[in-house]
Amino acid sequence: MCASVKYNIRGPALIPRMKTKHRIYYITLFSIVLLGLIATGMFQFWPHSIESSSDWSVQKRSIRDVPVVRLPADSPVPERGDLSCRMHTCFDVYRCGFNPKNKIKVYIYSLKKYVDDVGVPVSSTISQEYNELLTAVADSDYYTEDIARACLFIPSIDLLNQNALRVKETAQALAQLSRWDRGTNHLLFNMLPGGPPDYNTALDVPRDRALLAGGGFSTWTYRQGYDVSIPVYSPLSAEVDLPEKGPGPRRYFLLSSQMALHPEYREELAALQARHGEAVLVLDKCTNLSEGIPAARKRCHKHQVFDYPQVLQEATFCVVLRGARLGQAVLSDVLRAGCIPVIIADSYILPFSEVLDWKRASVAVPEEKMSDVYSILQSIPQRQIEEMQRQARWFWEAYFQSIKAIALATLQIINDRIYPYAAISYEDWNDPPSVKWGSVSNPLFLPLIPPQSQGFTAIVLTYDRVESLFRVITEVSKVPSLSKLLVVWNNQNKNPPDDSLWPKIRVPLKVVRTAENKLSNRFFPYDEIETEAVLAIDDDIIMLTSDELQFGYEVWREFPDRLVGYPGRLHLWDHEMSKWKYESEWTNEVSMVLTGAAFYHKYFNYLYTYKMPGDIKNWVDAHMNCEDIAMNFLVANVTGKAVIKVTPRKKFKCPECTAIDGLSLDQTHMVERSECINKFASVFGTMPLKVVEHRADPVLYKDDFPEKLKSFPNIGSL
Amino acid sequence: MQSWRRKSLWLALLTSWLLVLLGLFPLFRLSVPTSPRAGAPQGWPHWLDAELLQSFAKPGELLEDGPRPPQVLRGGSCNWGACFDTSKCRGGGLKVFVYPAAGPVSETRRRILASVEGSRYHTLSAAEACLLLLLSPDTSTGECDPVPPQWDGGRNHLVLSLHPAPCPRTFQLGQAMVAEASPTVDTFRPGFDVALPLLPEAHPLRGGAPGQLRQHSPRPGVALLALAEDGGRWHVAGTDFSACPWDGRCEQDRGPKQTHPGATLPNATFCLIPGRGPDVLHFLQALQAGCIPVLLSPRWELPFSEVIDWTKAAIVADERLPLQVLTALQEMPLTRVLALRQQTQFLWDAYFSSVEKVIHTTLEIIQDRIFGPSAHPSLLWNSPPGAILALPTFSPSPSDFPFYHLQQGSRPLGRFSALIWGGAPGQPPLKLIQAVAGSQHCAQILVLWSSEKPPPTRWPKTAVPLTVIDGHRKVSDRFFPYSAISTDAILSLDAHSSLSTSEVDFAFVVWQSFPERMVGFLTWSHFWDEARGGWGYTAKRTNEFSMVLTSAAFYHRYYHTLFTHALPKALRTLADEAPTCVDVLMNFLVASVTKSPPIKVPYGMWHQEARPPPLEPGGPGLRQEPQPAAQNCINQMAAGFGHMPLVSSRFRLDPVLFKDPVSVLRKKYRSLEKP
Repeated sequence: MCASVKYNIRGPALIPRMKTKHRIYYITLFSIVLLGLIATGMFQFWPHSIESSSDWSVQKRSIRDVPVVRLPADSPVPERGDLSCRMHTCFDVYRCGFNPKNKIKVYIYSLKKYVDDVGVPVSSTISQEYNELLTAVADSDYYTEDIARACLFIPSIDLLNQNALRVKETAQALAQLSRWDRGTNHLLFNMLPGGPPDYNTALDVPRDRALLAGGGFSTWTYRQGYDVSIPVYSPLSAEVDLPEKGPGPRRYFLLSSQMALHPEYREELAALQARHGEAVLVLDKCTNLSEGIPAARKRCHKHQVFDYPQVLQEATFCVVLRGARLGQAVLSDVLRAGCIPVIIADSYILPFSEVLDWKRASVAVPEEKMSDVYSILQSIPQRQIEEMQRQARWFWEAYFQSIKAIALATLQIINDRIYPYAAISYEDWNDPPSVKWGSVSNPLFLPLIPPQSQGFTAIVLTYDRVESLFRVITEVSKVPSLSKLLVVWNNQNKNPPDDSLWPKIRVPLKVVRTAENKLSNRFFPYDEIETEAVLAIDDDIIMLTSDELQFGYEVWREFPDRLVGYPGRLHLWDHEMSKWKYESEWTNEVSMVLTGAAFYHKYFNYLYTYKMPGDIKNWVDAHMNCEDIAMNFLVANVTGKAVIKVTPRKKFKCPECTAIDGLSLDQTHMVERSECINKFASVFGTMPLKVVEHRADPVLYKDDFPEKLKSFPNIGSL
Repeated sequence: MQSWRRKSLWLALLTSWLLVLLGLFPLFRLSVPTSPRAGAPQGWPHWLDAELLQSFAKPGELLEDGPRPPQVLRGGSCNWGACFDTSKCRGGGLKVFVYPAAGPVSETRRRILASVEGSRYHTLSAAEACLLLLLSPDTSTGECDPVPPQWDGGRNHLVLSLHPAPCPRTFQLGQAMVAEASPTVDTFRPGFDVALPLLPEAHPLRGGAPGQLRQHSPRPGVALLALAEDGGRWHVAGTDFSACPWDGRCEQDRGPKQTHPGATLPNATFCLIPGRGPDVLHFLQALQAGCIPVLLSPRWELPFSEVIDWTKAAIVADERLPLQVLTALQEMPLTRVLALRQQTQFLWDAYFSSVEKVIHTTLEIIQDRIFGPSAHPSLLWNSPPGAILALPTFSPSPSDFPFYHLQQGSRPLGRFSALIWGGAPGQPPLKLIQAVAGSQHCAQILVLWSSEKPPPTRWPKTAVPLTVIDGHRKVSDRFFPYSAISTDAILSLDAHSSLSTSEVDFAFVVWQSFPERMVGFLTWSHFWDEARGGWGYTAKRTNEFSMVLTSAAFYHRYYHTLFTHALPKALRTLADEAPTCVDVLMNFLVASVTKSPPIKVPYGMWHQEARPPPLEPGGPGLRQEPQPAAQNCINQMAAGFGHMPLVSSRFRLDPVLFKDPVSVLRKKYRSLEKP
């Protein structure tokens, strides 16, 4: 733009001999063009501040303007759905291909209006919900505009309600889609299947191999592992503002709010009400409502009028009975109210039953057992009821709340089938956020004692204290279960001593040179570590006896998921300062062990190096301190378990500092360590360390027993 | 001249504008991508009149869709609600009757019969039963059974066939459920039929071989993939995956071939099992070996798929994308590999390692269907110790069990109940009651009076409530789940036990860290006696131990429920006959559930010196050397469990400052240090 301004100045100077008239003409022309250009540029550079992006960029169109497609009467009709379809027979997985993100690509056909031979529309062009659904898909990560790269195709033909379309003609419309190919990899959404008089439980539109996401499948129409069962969306979800009501006892024990019930069922319910009185409330349509009040929002019992869906919040259990269709929109309202649905619809495939554990949020009662429903429900303990209420509400929030939630859950289910190795777990689908937050899944959960023969790998981190290092190597090599010794040489300015100078030991000794002097190098998952057990040991820990180290290894074998170490430390809450404090005095409790001498599983090296939360790793390397505290946090957080301190306290030669410069240094050290604890607790968002009052000693430690007969006699000597 | 000038001027202008435009154009382009769908007609449009769109259903349509009477059952199709009559199961819960076999009985059939008869659901009367079990005919006998007498169209029947039936059925299955090995997905009725694993002929009756996994993470350098071959063999694939090694199409490129003869187990991280092959035996082999099964489009239903979440232990992938599967396996995060490996072992040990476990799991699934809302939650099925050992009747909430505190983010209750088993005439154990009541964690004291003589009328006054329960005179009664026990922790005691308050306090604090284990003071250890060719155990002080005496031990009250309701009756009777056996039995039970040793805490030697060893035959003595009769009980127990569950430990948990050279005043449990 700068350049153009220059031209603006220089322009007239180039034509000095022009007539004034011309000159003015040119100048005006120039300025107009330039102004226009600048204006365009301005628009292009700040489109967001001027108008919202969607309005600016996405073409604004009206639904009335969509192209019309005329279907000849003899155009092909797809075959009826194939009941034997499974993913590996009817789904073309090659279209999904290799995908580093493990995400399927979904294409949406553009909207068209279909009319038959004589120009009568096949169906209403699109409903509000289906428009929302397609918008949600288009806004998601699954969406692609490139039809050639898509693995799943969604027609824009609205099939949500079978009553709103003409079956044969709609099928013809499907068949002429550009990539139809017998419906392979096409996903159809339908919430209200069937029509009078026999109400099929799946969409009647012939659809060949297409996948059906249907609301109201029965065991006979549902193709396990192929179709997806979805909820029937309740428009009340968006219309009505219903504040959440926590779990707990409610006024009515059992409530029925459905209006269209078969007389037989209604009789059954009336009998229940007669037997149990106030606890059961059976509502019906209001007959004498004044004009203007939407009947959908009112329910009546005799002359009493109740607001719907608010009344659902007054009940612990709500009946969801089969109507002509198996899928009922009332299920969504009931879940939202935190009322536990009592599903009385034999053979109904509950929404998303492939992944959702409905036992946790609902009670299914066989139709035959309807008269027993009260006693069945009464046998459920109050604690379980509250759990189920919470679960019901969570299901609504996560999977029923909006059309978007329904669409995305459907796509996720299909995605998980195609990329099973990256699938979402049962817990992710079913556990409410509060449970997920509090629960720990130990990565080494199997109770297993690794064989002693495997031994352990000792890792010594060293900088340049060669003499002390050699002593440590000699001492550690006396431990019977040592299988390999790894020296991590952290000094880039100095070469490790010559091979001939190293102590001769009975196990392989490897030296690893590092690229940078970082404390994290101690916890790197080196390929050289072949055993599961790792002993991290500093190059100045020479006071541990062979018995003590061997015993530590034995204890680790019984606790392979924990840090098993020698010097123990404690974290304390400082009430005055309102923060955590590090404690190394003689305390009755332990919450950390120093990794200057500790056994642990090598998997934690992997976690430390690749999965440490936040910036902790860099923080440790920058401060050259607290790598051990970080490791304690990490292990406690991932396993939910405390450390094990082994053997009595020893006089460690200043285990945490490199020089003893008296009290002042010691104090700055403690302050720094306390800071680490506070920093890590804030990164983890919680204090994962567990405090315990025990340590592990050999069974016969200090017992009145001949020392010779003890397995580990040399323990605790100073 | 002028025209030339003008022309050149226009030209200069034009070029300059062109330059300007060219310079600006890329800038426009740069500015555009900030909005994702700018200018593109693709994507789903935001319709101008979206607000005016109709809802998919007319206002009344969702509310009333034409009521319909209850449906009549369609022929051939059955589901649980329609075809099983649960009213017969009310009261006694699941009661199972097995049709007696006519004619000679094969070994497999004998095993199945034995395991049903050994289960807690078995009944001898067909009238009382709510489930009638029909074993499908064997291969060896070759005869097909006639329609059984109580058939009734197959209602409430379970037709069990561990092996594919050799002859066509002579009668219609009707409403009977089918439990068969590896049913095809097309005929399997989810929620009604039960999918069983295909067991090898020589599968053990009970106990069974333990899982092969010895370490959590795969050994470095172990093969990534083993491929199932015909005849129960495995082909360990090399690291070169340039082509599809299992396809047969690339036969020439097979890498180092290590065919294992016979039914050896694969040694690899993943085990690839083709879904088409009839040889599904491979699946169980992989599970046992801790080799993660990778199933390629299996046409058969995975065993117990109704309750077992196989996504936690196996990978079901599409056979049409071999290279993609391979890449996914190679790139799978270590954390997930670890989780899958461990889960295979847990599932093998909990549900598959013996015929008895398979049968009990099947019955447990049926029982869960009957229970409805009070069935096992998924967590109980899919995490250790598994649903056979976690009884849903104990509590609906997993956090009441000792096993799920981590997953639930909960903790055991912070108090304990002392349960004193006594019956000796004379004075109540004053000192013991005072020591226990002195503990800050004690919630109540229960005295289980088990003598013919009435209990003393006067009991010492204590800070906590003391209740006397009139027990029966059987030793196994001390492990009955009394409703009076209100806490998670139980401190089990004998009238002649001797403990100090600090010992109790410290042991309880330790138990809170290990709520699933037993925490005790006195220990025994078991050993293999070469001379006698059997197990033995000793009370001698040794460097390791595997049992703690229940005359002074903390454990979770759930073990009372398990002891009374899950143990075979024969084992409990055995314990009643030889009272010292009861300790062995309890330790066996807890060890078989936790697969871990108990925990020992310090116990002052002065207790023993203070009182002579009790001579009473009824109570398990402290430090008594087990009598020869009792020595034999460990072998009977081992036979009853089918294996030796006990695990040895080599450490004791002491207070952090125990006997450290520091002022006694600093120590919390200083009285533990008395010599």
